[in-house]
Amino acid sequence: MVRLRDVRLRLGEGDRASSLWFRLPAFDAAAGETVAITGPSGCGKSTLLNLIAGLRRADEGEVTVAGVDLSTLGSAGLDRHRGAQCGMVFQTFQLLAPFTAVENVAIGLRFGSRSRGSARSRATDALHRVGLGDRLRARPDQLSVGERQRVAIARAVAGEASILLADEPTGSLDPATAREVFDLLREVAAEGNRTLLMVTHDPALAARLSRSFDASGLIASGDPAIIEEARTP
Amino acid sequence: MSILGMAWRYLRFRWLVTLLTVASITLGSALVCTVLVLRHESDQALSRDAALYDLVVGGKGSPLQLVLSSVYHVDSPPGNLAYEEYERLRRDPRVAWAAPIGLGDNLAGHRIVGTEPHFFDLLDRNGDPFFRLDRGRLFEDRFEVVLGSHVAVATGLEVGDTFFGTHGLIEVPGGEVHRDFPYRVSGILAPTGTAQDRAIFGTLESVWEIHETEERLHSAIQGTAMLANRPERETSAIFVRLETPGLRLWMADEIRKQSDGIAAIPINEILRFQRGVVGPVQRSLLAVAAAVVAVACLTVLTTLHQATERRRRDIAILRSLGAVRGEVAALVFVEGLILTTAGIVLGLLLGHGGLALASDTIRDTTGLALHPWRLAPSELIALVSMAACGVIASVFPAISCYRRTPIADLQLTD
Repeated sequence: MVRLRDVRLRLGEGDRASSLWFRLPAFDAAAGETVAITGPSGCGKSTLLNLIAGLRRADEGEVTVAGVDLSTLGSAGLDRHRGAQCGMVFQTFQLLAPFTAVENVAIGLRFGSRSRGSARSRATDALHRVGLGDRLRARPDQLSVGERQRVAIARAVAGEASILLADEPTGSLDPATAREVFDLLREVAAEGNRTLLMVTHDPALAARLSRSFDASGLIASGDPAIIEEARTP
Repeated sequence: MSILGMAWRYLRFRWLVTLLTVASITLGSALVCTVLVLRHESDQALSRDAALYDLVVGGKGSPLQLVLSSVYHVDSPPGNLAYEEYERLRRDPRVAWAAPIGLGDNLAGHRIVGTEPHFFDLLDRNGDPFFRLDRGRLFEDRFEVVLGSHVAVATGLEVGDTFFGTHGLIEVPGGEVHRDFPYRVSGILAPTGTAQDRAIFGTLESVWEIHETEERLHSAIQGTAMLANRPERETSAIFVRLETPGLRLWMADEIRKQSDGIAAIPINEILRFQRGVVGPVQRSLLAVAAAVVAVACLTVLTTLHQATERRRRDIAILRSLGAVRGEVAALVFVEGLILTTAGIVLGLLLGHGGLALASDTIRDTTGLALHPWRLAPSELIALVSMAACGVIASVFPAISCYRRTPIADLQLTD
């Protein structure tokens, strides 16, 4: 499902681009596999997810997702790939404030699966699935943080995404809510035979996924300031 | 949800900024509409009135003053002409129609115009009767009058009612009321949309009689005697229609040389007045209005730019959900279009609605009968130009949005 080979990122951008590179280790994830991406802060865990989502391009190497080599896609192609294949869940939920829960999910479907007609009913189903059937018309500021993350999960799985990319999805939650959200993520991934790649600092949660991938093995050298800037997603 | 629906929701979400932005565009476009409609309508009305007559003949003085006083019932006539001058003109084979008028009195500021019954035979330039009776009949005897349509509304007078005229052409507190000469309303004219709606028409003889009597009375009081029993009878102006308008300049020149008066070509005087006096004022107003619109467009640009900056995270989220660059740029662009369109449409309604509300007052004070809901041709051009400005103001934030890469903005917090 996901395959990274010889991926290298040039440090710095534009005029500040240097001859120094990050080299990412080879990475594979099969369909339905759940992988914890671990490592110290700033080591490039989020960068890995961004590469897979097509939010960032590799300067060299191969990033293949669902059989598509992302280097062959243009900007719009990458956006469509992301909308169709990837469901993203963020630490800060990333919901759209003017819209209700059901609209947030439906908007994801609109751009993801590009199906408008059934978007609302599918969004409603997804919210029922994550236990928010009675909060459809609530706006983000009317939801608890746990509920917001559930909406984000509903948005990620409402379409036909085959990969769930979760960037510290429990990082802003209290332990009890974090467990609920984590369990929910695993459940919805299993239901759709989706690949779940989850960045986490919590070893206990990482241990409950099928395997861990230690992203701290990334090789970097050169000016620390440039390296730090390049690591910032 | 469509891009349009999303744009609308974002505008609703920050409703105060939206309201203020739309209000600024509304005010700008309303100002433009008002100025353009007033210009168009005043041009049309002035030309319509002026085109009725080929020549206006009157006492020596300013031709513009002669036209304003006789055709538009503003200003005082520059002087009088002997009635024989009218009779001479009427006999001239080049004259198709001529009618004298005598001024001197008013009712509540509405001028009492003495004339002759055939004045109402005047045809407009399409060959249709210019005057039509709404009710009653034309005057047949001295001190019978027909009211212009606006006079009837303003004074509440009806057919059969009587009133007294007051000396002078404008209403002055304590003015001399001719209480010995009651006028009786014989009819009321249908609206013409011209200054004639504000006038009262009676016989020239009644105007003469009142003032001859008054002069005799004044002479008696002052201990002087009138030189003759019957003083020379005069007219304030003579309206002339020629057999062909091509004779205007020739006739005007001839009258100036061969009589004690002057002949003005109304349409020429009004065009000169419009270009020399009204035009610069209108252009200044238009410049102010254009500046207001420019400020409004800058407001759109600023609003959208700020909204885009504040929404960098939202735009990045949409990109992470699969929205392509063009779609998020379209979202910002459509927001600009909604703001601009709403502002222009509301401005159009406000401008025309305001004119509709003010049209009675404008007619009362200037005699200008407006068609407040009629679009002026230049207004369409102005509206399209304003829309184009709005589009341009919306394009820049949209381009900025198009160029952004979402990855950095995804880290922004609410």
